[in-house]
Amino acid sequence: MEQKRKWKVSDLWEILRNGFSAVITGNLLLRLNAGKYFMHIAYTFVLFWILIFESLMAENALSKVEKNKARIKEMEIVYADKTFEVASMSRRSEIEKRLEAMGSKVREPEKQAIEIE
Amino acid sequence: MEENEIRQLPQQSTKKKRDRIGMVLYIFYVLLLVISVLVIAKLVYFQLIWKPEPKIAGALTPSIVKRTIEPVRGNIIDCNGRLLAMSYPVYDIHMDCTVMKAEYGKMKNREKGQMKEQEWMEKAKLLSQGLSELVPGTNAEKMFSQIKEGRARGRKYLQIAKGVDRNTMLKIKALPLYKEGANKGGMIVETRNVRKYPYGKLARRTIGFVRDNKGLPEEEIKGNPGLEGRYDAILHGKDGREYLKQTDRGRVRNYDSSYVRAVDGQDLRTTLNIDYQDVADRALRERIDSLDDLNGACLVLMEVKTGAIRAMVNLSRDPNRGNAFEEITNFAIGRRCEPGSVFKTVTLLSVMSDGIYKSLDETIPTNHGIVKNTKMKQDVHILDWEREHKTKEISILDGFKISSNYVFGTLAVQNYAANPRQYVEKVYSYGLGDSFDFDLEGLLTPLIPDPKSKMWSNTTLGTMGFGYATEETPLHILTFYNAIANKGRMVKPYLVEDIEKAGNVTDRRGPSVLNASICSRAIADTMTRALLSVTEEGTARRLKNAKCKVAGKTGTSFATFENGQYSDAAGRRQYQGTFVGYFPAEDPQYSVICAVYSKPTRTSYQGGGIPASVIKTLVDYVYVNDPRFREKLPKK
Repeated sequence: MEQKRKWKVSDLWEILRNGFSAVITGNLLLRLNAGKYFMHIAYTFVLFWILIFESLMAENALSKVEKNKARIKEMEIVYADKTFEVASMSRRSEIEKRLEAMGSKVREPEKQAIEIE
Repeated sequence: MEENEIRQLPQQSTKKKRDRIGMVLYIFYVLLLVISVLVIAKLVYFQLIWKPEPKIAGALTPSIVKRTIEPVRGNIIDCNGRLLAMSYPVYDIHMDCTVMKAEYGKMKNREKGQMKEQEWMEKAKLLSQGLSELVPGTNAEKMFSQIKEGRARGRKYLQIAKGVDRNTMLKIKALPLYKEGANKGGMIVETRNVRKYPYGKLARRTIGFVRDNKGLPEEEIKGNPGLEGRYDAILHGKDGREYLKQTDRGRVRNYDSSYVRAVDGQDLRTTLNIDYQDVADRALRERIDSLDDLNGACLVLMEVKTGAIRAMVNLSRDPNRGNAFEEITNFAIGRRCEPGSVFKTVTLLSVMSDGIYKSLDETIPTNHGIVKNTKMKQDVHILDWEREHKTKEISILDGFKISSNYVFGTLAVQNYAANPRQYVEKVYSYGLGDSFDFDLEGLLTPLIPDPKSKMWSNTTLGTMGFGYATEETPLHILTFYNAIANKGRMVKPYLVEDIEKAGNVTDRRGPSVLNASICSRAIADTMTRALLSVTEEGTARRLKNAKCKVAGKTGTSFATFENGQYSDAAGRRQYQGTFVGYFPAEDPQYSVICAVYSKPTRTSYQGGGIPASVIKTLVDYVYVNDPRFREKLPKK
């Protein structure tokens, strides 16, 4: 009858020694029989690499967004500036003053317009 | 044997070669292993043992900042889509006075460093001169000494100009020193949105006023009775929120944190027509500016069919601006006083509606101007009438034309003394006793005496008949006259046509009815006939030559002094002169009211004077320019 092998503390040392020698000789993954997971390990590595790359790309894109935001803001400012200028000049009394200053004879109509039906 | 040796030679050589490759790979592997062990060890060290200096840690750790995204405040536009209020960006310019100072100080050639520093100061002097020309209120010498002092003291944020527009900012940017950029010139530019009103102070009390788009606190909304205050929540929008992180390429949004998009405010389309507002404002100012006795005036132009207010002018003396007239108080909705003779139309409409009189030509005895069964004062104008016309009778129409207090006091007393509540209820049914939900804060409720109250006396009903003993706002009076113009249909005055988002209507407001019929169409026509006689032969003859027929009524009343009298000890009175009416009388399209308020004075300010004359200017303008009054020429 085969006796069960008892676990000893000295086995821990053996495991560590074997592990270390495996790491040194480059056989750790093979000894762990992880060779069959090589594709998964490579895939995980690629995933991490893509994640880092994407993160950098996103950061780059966001910095462009901020720059474009500033550009749009600038354009909006120009638009608001012009709109305000035009609106201020469209005041009836302002137009009359300008016409008078220009020596124009254009004045408010004396009678209502005639509409052809 | 030799043959075997010869065969084994190439095999041994391949094995040696493989061993060499294996060895190289092995050394490479060990090298990487050592590096990785070192990296891991360093990582563990950084994570658990190493503690950086706080300054370095701050510089290396990407800081995350919360930023509130301010929504764009909605515009306020007039009925034709013209901008009345908009958000407008302005620039605050500051200066980092310390730029390049350290670099010049560290130069190996000390003389060169000093020369560069002197050059910088020379440019700062030129910048100060340029600023004094571009920014009002800036003194070149003072500015230069501030920059000099700031450089000496290491100030990094010296205010140079506040709230300048884009053109000025660009000009400032082109000045010496600043044109060299932020790093050498120290220019710091910050943008913020402020509220701008392209038409200046026109309709300021109606539109309201805010400095920027910061949400108004509750108490300030109440103190800001314009549309800006009343519709602040709609105009403001909703604040957004985002978190920013520092990267090599500047600050970017941290996409790992939450982000709340700002919702821009919605636009408010008002019923105001800014051209009519401008004309009304100018006409009123031209007539009252030079009159020191006047301390306020208001004018409201309303569309008859809808109740849309096209112009609302409110002018009062501003002691902070040399007593010039400014839009400070909304008299049209917030000043309640005895309306005077414009209220006679209420009495006339009541007796006509109740069928007491069928025609305006019916007469009553003149009775020497004394209203029977009351202690009311004698109306001396009736004595003139008796003398002039050699008669002891006066028709209702004539009484209306000359605005006789006796006639309307008598009409009220004679017909309602037995049941004064009937008269009061009539007043309420004409919308002259209640307030209504208006688009601006502060519409006062009229004061109508209760026949059961202790205040009701022997003279109350009679004086109510010609416009005393009650208190009304100009808007209430206008709403009543507008109902007559609209053949009895009383519509609610309003200022907000709709609420829009990017040009699309999100909430349509528009017209609403207060009372579907305050009188029959026939009686409304009779009233128009009476009102027309006032402008053609009565107290408002100034309007006779208007470009179209105007029907209306003048009213002059006096404010009560502290002594409870209508005049002070020196015999001066505080006038309220009003004209209210509608045009064209044949097919009313607009109703209008104008009131002027005086200080205690001996000069008389009647409703047929300034108010009628201002309204004539406005009527002439509107009649000529409004498309609905165009003459139609049939196409052949």
